[in-house]
Amino acid sequence: MVQVNDKTHVPKDGKHDSYLGIDVGSVTLKFVLMDNDQRVLSQVFLRNQGSPIDSVKFGMAEMRSQIEKNPELQEYAIRACGTTGSARYLTKAVVGGDLAKTEIIAHAVATQSLYPDVRTILEIGGQDSKIIILRDGIIVDFAMNSVCAAGTGSFLDHQATRLNIPIEDFGDYAVKSKNPASIAGRCTVFAESDMIHKQNSGYSKEDIIAGLCDSLVRNYLNNLSKGKDLEEPIVFQGGVSFNKGIIQAFERHLGCKITVPKNGLNVLMGALGMAILSREYYINNEIDTVFRGLRMTDIDFRTRTFNCGDCPNNCSIVECSIVENNEVIARWGSRCGKWEVF
Amino acid sequence: MIVSFPNMGYSWPAFKTLIECMGVKVVLPDPTNREAVKIGVKYSPEFVCFPFKVTLGDFVSAIKKGADTLVMAIDCGPCRFGFYHAVQERILHDMGYKNIRVIPLDQADLLEFKWVKTLFDVTPTKNLFLYTKAVKAVQYFIKKTKYIEDISTAEGLIRCYERNKGDTTRVVKELLIKLDKTNKINELRKFKSVITNDFKKIDIDRSRDPLKVALSGEIHITLESHDNLDIRRKLGEMGVQLYQNLSVYDWVIHKFHLNFHRKWLEYLARPYMPMDIGGEAVWVIGEYIDRARSGFDGFIHAYPFTCMPEISARTILTNTLYKKYNLPIIFFSFDEHAAESGFRTRLEAFVDLIQGRRKQKRQKKEIKLEKKSKEPSYEVHGGSLYNSIFQFIQAG
Repeated sequence: MVQVNDKTHVPKDGKHDSYLGIDVGSVTLKFVLMDNDQRVLSQVFLRNQGSPIDSVKFGMAEMRSQIEKNPELQEYAIRACGTTGSARYLTKAVVGGDLAKTEIIAHAVATQSLYPDVRTILEIGGQDSKIIILRDGIIVDFAMNSVCAAGTGSFLDHQATRLNIPIEDFGDYAVKSKNPASIAGRCTVFAESDMIHKQNSGYSKEDIIAGLCDSLVRNYLNNLSKGKDLEEPIVFQGGVSFNKGIIQAFERHLGCKITVPKNGLNVLMGALGMAILSREYYINNEIDTVFRGLRMTDIDFRTRTFNCGDCPNNCSIVECSIVENNEVIARWGSRCGKWEVF
Repeated sequence: MIVSFPNMGYSWPAFKTLIECMGVKVVLPDPTNREAVKIGVKYSPEFVCFPFKVTLGDFVSAIKKGADTLVMAIDCGPCRFGFYHAVQERILHDMGYKNIRVIPLDQADLLEFKWVKTLFDVTPTKNLFLYTKAVKAVQYFIKKTKYIEDISTAEGLIRCYERNKGDTTRVVKELLIKLDKTNKINELRKFKSVITNDFKKIDIDRSRDPLKVALSGEIHITLESHDNLDIRRKLGEMGVQLYQNLSVYDWVIHKFHLNFHRKWLEYLARPYMPMDIGGEAVWVIGEYIDRARSGFDGFIHAYPFTCMPEISARTILTNTLYKKYNLPIIFFSFDEHAAESGFRTRLEAFVDLIQGRRKQKRQKKEIKLEKKSKEPSYEVHGGSLYNSIFQFIQAG
């Protein structure tokens, strides 16, 4: 999918090239710094801090401290930066990204770099889940949950809190079960009332959790893979892929082996994909990066919203600017395209 | 008596003419907006489809501007659309607008001429001249709907080439106002040249190579830009050339049994769906086959949430036709939600998908690069608009 022509840039500073990928999701944010050989130099994986701007600053500070500690990393200069995730445009404006792409393409690119013959990608994150079908190295079909957050990480997290077990141990509990309870998977509301019923009638935690994993997988496959052929090799990623119970349930339902990227890369795939796409962008285009650099943590950003009021739609416009010089770096929200700064 | 009707995309100049020619004052509702949708949703049955709620909101907005008689199209089709006017009238009465009348514009079969009764219903004075008025009204209406179709076609073709973002949108807005002010038959006959001339003033970048995508689905959702989150503009700005058969003109001549293009689509769809089940289901299936055969890059199917006919069509498209024809397709079901981010993500991912496919196809040389001089004509209803727009695009 990624095509790299001859290099058009010859940087003067003599440092090695590196590329930054940022993925600001609904629950977590991920940073990946990658070199020319697609080796991960540095990574950040954190929970969101309120607003995307705060999160990105926090993540950038973390990355900066990692780089300052490691003299080897200081030999590298960031040549391009790409953003993805649901806040990709805001993040792009704030960090000075060169390109913003959807999660779907980022995940597909990253997975292909690790598993070139992948044909199906399953991804379950904090708020959304997707399925990506690839054939002969290109995406031919994809689906995202569009209306319902049933069967995503947030729901599992909530249920883990309710059952009073840490979310990290959730998978271990599920694996231990011999006889999973049957739990309705149509909708989280039904699932929860089913779970409460099962809890109160004395089922063990293990059986309930295994049943929940099973129903979640059923719901995912019903909702997203409608009529799609899920062919091997299948790669499963996103935060929920840490959960052994879900992996087991997927293997049982699909009847084949599921691969999960190792070394914590299963959650970093979006950011890694953006780093790869940034590299492609940098090498194929003769444009220098507009990346603000790791020092962007020192810049104060301000967002404000106002209503346009020029037509009866009365769209509410979001504006993001730099406090110091009042420079507007992003503005959007209108239906007609007026005011837009990207 | 002051008459009004709900919004449906660009169709307002045509409906306005239809009623004004009968000698009745017309007031337009505000362009569909968040406020109207809010009111519509508040007073509608929860499970009814989105166009019902939007049109109800438009009615309230028109009543606030002084309208006392409302015209609503109905269709004795297989879906619930046939009862919209009656339910909406009751709801409006319950809301306290006691003197409001909602007059149905029966379009089940225009050759039965039930719609003439509607035209006479909205006119307070009855005399012999009414028949000549009605003939003029219909003549102007059909002419104007045709021009509106032309405007929206040219818009879809040109927007992906524009150098300054927003030029096309501005031209379309100006043209609609010009069309609204053109009320002489001689000027109206020459209006096509006004359309082409105005579009030719747009500064375009001819070196671009846009993707060709067809947009189809339920007619109200597809035409009304507020309902579909402005999908046409967004696609155009992403560099997609948009083709769309749906328009009021297309529908009207279909109901006069003169639309042979739709008959052709029905013929294509017959093995999969032998009859009209409401909505645009049959034609969507036919159009998918048609577009797949003529080498399009993608297909978009838009429909309101809970629309039964379109969902039936969707299942046939994914389970049978996609496997057979392999034209990438994406579905959007629209409702009152205004959160654009998920919508935008899927739209962008779809554009990336078809871009990747095209790249691969070209590498494999499965299709030779289309020669620029031989752009196939997708013209549906005659006339020379497509050709003049294509000539303009290629003339660099």
